[in-house]
Amino acid sequence: MDLFLQRLFDALTNGSTYALIAVAMVLIFKATTLINFAQGEQAMLGAFIVLQLWKWGIPMWGAVVVGMIFSGILAACLERTFIRKFDPADHLPLVIITLGLFLVINAVAAIIWRFDPLSFPQLFPSGKAITIGNARLSWYSIFAFGSCLLVLFTLQTLLTKTKIGLAFRAVSSNLESSRLCGIKIGQTLQFGWALAAAAGTLGASIYAANPVLQIEPTIMLRALIFSITAAALGGLDSLWGALIGGLTIGFVQSVVVQYIPFIPNEMTLAAAVVVLLIVLTFRPSGFLGTKTVERV
Amino acid sequence: MWASLVLFFLLIAFAYVDVGSIAIGSNKYNLSLIRLNKAIAYSVAILGLQVVVGYTGQIALGQSFFFGTGAYISAWLVADHSWPFLLTLVIVIPGCFLIGMILGLPALRIRGLYLALLTLGLAALFPTIVKLDSLYEYTGGAGGKLTTDKLTGSQYKFAPPSWLPLDEIAQALQNIPLVGGYFGDGPLSNREESRMWKFILFSLVAALCFWLISNLIKSKPGRAMRAVRDNETSAAVSGINLAMTKTISFGIASALGGIGGMIYVAEVGIASPDDFSSLVAIYLIVGLVVGGVGTLSGAVIGGLVYALIPDWASSTQSISFVPQRWLQGPTGSLILGLLLIVLTLFMPGGISTAAKKVKNRFVTTQPQSKLSNS
Amino acid sequence: MKNTLLDVDELKATYGQIEVLHGIKFHVQSNEIVVILGANGAGKTTTLRAISGMVETTGSITFNGDSITDLDPDYIVRKGIAHVPQGRGTFPELTVEENLKVGAFIRSDNGIKADLESCYETYPVLYERRMQSAGSLSGGEQQMLAVSRALMSKPELLLLDEPSLGLAPQIVEGLFARFRTMNQDLGTTMLIVEQNAQIALAMADRGYVLESGEIAVEGEANLLVNDDAIRKAYLGG
Repeated sequence: MDLFLQRLFDALTNGSTYALIAVAMVLIFKATTLINFAQGEQAMLGAFIVLQLWKWGIPMWGAVVVGMIFSGILAACLERTFIRKFDPADHLPLVIITLGLFLVINAVAAIIWRFDPLSFPQLFPSGKAITIGNARLSWYSIFAFGSCLLVLFTLQTLLTKTKIGLAFRAVSSNLESSRLCGIKIGQTLQFGWALAAAAGTLGASIYAANPVLQIEPTIMLRALIFSITAAALGGLDSLWGALIGGLTIGFVQSVVVQYIPFIPNEMTLAAAVVVLLIVLTFRPSGFLGTKTVERV
Repeated sequence: MWASLVLFFLLIAFAYVDVGSIAIGSNKYNLSLIRLNKAIAYSVAILGLQVVVGYTGQIALGQSFFFGTGAYISAWLVADHSWPFLLTLVIVIPGCFLIGMILGLPALRIRGLYLALLTLGLAALFPTIVKLDSLYEYTGGAGGKLTTDKLTGSQYKFAPPSWLPLDEIAQALQNIPLVGGYFGDGPLSNREESRMWKFILFSLVAALCFWLISNLIKSKPGRAMRAVRDNETSAAVSGINLAMTKTISFGIASALGGIGGMIYVAEVGIASPDDFSSLVAIYLIVGLVVGGVGTLSGAVIGGLVYALIPDWASSTQSISFVPQRWLQGPTGSLILGLLLIVLTLFMPGGISTAAKKVKNRFVTTQPQSKLSNS
Repeated sequence: MKNTLLDVDELKATYGQIEVLHGIKFHVQSNEIVVILGANGAGKTTTLRAISGMVETTGSITFNGDSITDLDPDYIVRKGIAHVPQGRGTFPELTVEENLKVGAFIRSDNGIKADLESCYETYPVLYERRMQSAGSLSGGEQQMLAVSRALMSKPELLLLDEPSLGLAPQIVEGLFARFRTMNQDLGTTMLIVEQNAQIALAMADRGYVLESGEIAVEGEANLLVNDDAIRKAYLGG
């Protein structure tokens, strides 16, 4: 029982990060049916910006907020410059562009900050909050998960109670009718990209703030596959699905680490890819996504 | 036209057998047969991508998986069972074809973006698989599988046959006035001869692959593939068996990936896990796009781009107006990423299509001048 | 003396390489109901999409004296033209009320709430279902929603693409009766594209018949009903 609890607790830690990156991917997918392969790297860059702002003296959480805004603006520019030129129905060029952005952003971060691991500010209090028998839950995990929930509730409010949120959901639902109602599609998509980048930056920052980790440019490379799988598992167009997917993948990770002795790091990756394969083949709409019928 | 290309490459080969380099400013750019052999390996792998992505329209991004599979199969056969490299193709080709067909099965249900996702995931998985403890005796784990001769420490022998007049050609080239100096001094050493021979062999294998594929494209299955790429629904309605076409396309692409892998490990001498990571898959895509999706020459250009650009980027020690810092990081991937973006935006057909357009501008004017004379 | 609200001249429209409209000319006057009839593939839908800016066109389209030929859809809506596309074009994941609010997107005045309420008065069933997702509504209800949504932008000209498509005859009758009332009470000008010639001509002022991208017949609606050729082709003799 203790072991199971510990696994649940462990799941919270990484699962929250995957959930936040997955949320970012879902936002973009909802609006554009595009999977942004560069999402992880954008998040990593955002986290580095946060780090740099903190080093320049801005208080921790202030740096996070400014970092999120900055990465949002950057993402809006990226959307306008690179993504908007393409027909959303033609997947190949868009996939390639996001792969290109992946390479470029990764390289830029590595050029500016090098590859040496750096210490990221501790966003949350350290130490164990709850101990049940042998199972320990750290404050970090609680706050990480709490941030996740906060982000989701904020997004929910933003999307349902504001005009631009309504526009975003309209565009996600029916692009042509949105045009006919006078919604400016370009601006709405930019908004989506900015939101996604901000969520991603928060996710990467929380991940880097883990007391046992340090930040360096490759930090999000592994997380990308896990986050994509989490998004698919939850349903690529469902925000709450992203949360559930993220936690599930986190849970799968902690289970795999326990039961499979050889090279646990690598095997969790294999587990994630297997999950992805199963989801995409048998239930592409995931847990909470909307089903679309595609017949030939 | 192909003949002159071959001649050109042979000349380059003799000029740069071992230590050729071009100097620009204060930077030396290596252009040796080592690089060219790698370029051949990548070109064949990218040719595979042309088949599945360019001609059949399936966004299958996991070519590094088959590149690696071919490499490891070859390495294992050569190192543990003393097979000659070329013979390993007998296993590599059908093996990779089969694995490709099996892994391509999800493609029958998954399209577009989702397929891209899944194949990248598979590519990311490859290093994990070869590092598994249970496969250690075949793959050498994290350290990789060496194919060098353990006793003498030299590369597995690639001695050219005695009837090939390599020395004579080298001497002849050296005697050409003015440019003779570029072709080195004196007869070729054993190592140089071995390199030359490898280059010739690999080029022949590659040329055979390209020739076969160019025939495939013009044939009925080739047309079926292109029909699938252009419009799946119409293709199905006109009686094309979608499942069969896609599966075979995946098989061929994987087989080509495997052949490329064999060439790679024959050149490099070792098959190690990180040489076949998902980053390699992305770089192969860069080669595909930069060269030109859906063209044969694009595969050649792509291979050269992949083999040369990252290397040359890190060899660049100084450019006058660029601060030192920017040249020390992973400039290779920066440039490849930028190329990918810039080309997709401005030259979607890649370099080969752009080159064709330029060529056409010169070719069309000639017939007119003939008419005006009569 | 009515004035010309919409004037279309030499309108050509292309989808990629294919020219669908070959230079058509028609007009709509204020407070009129004009109907465009034609078989499938004649170009009816393309005509409406050309007006609302969704298709590449050459020629001239003038609305209230201003040229709207090259404008983007979001400008054309703001000029006062609302388009109800073929198949309703509702937002299935949004609620009925949210659909209506999106309809009022271009407005920032205080009258939106009042307009919502008058819409609910007109269609009580929409009020009942206002918190349900639009995708769960029946065909007829979705059509009511689509038209109401278009009206929320307070347009001068309403474009309707095959409103009767897929609906039971009773519902269609009620729908078209409502169009008549809207036109009489609110003065909304309508351009309706329809296959159901009978009911369309019964309530329209004028009509055009489109054949293979060209206007074949035009005239007063009550005269068209009696025209032999039209009777044979569209009204079953």
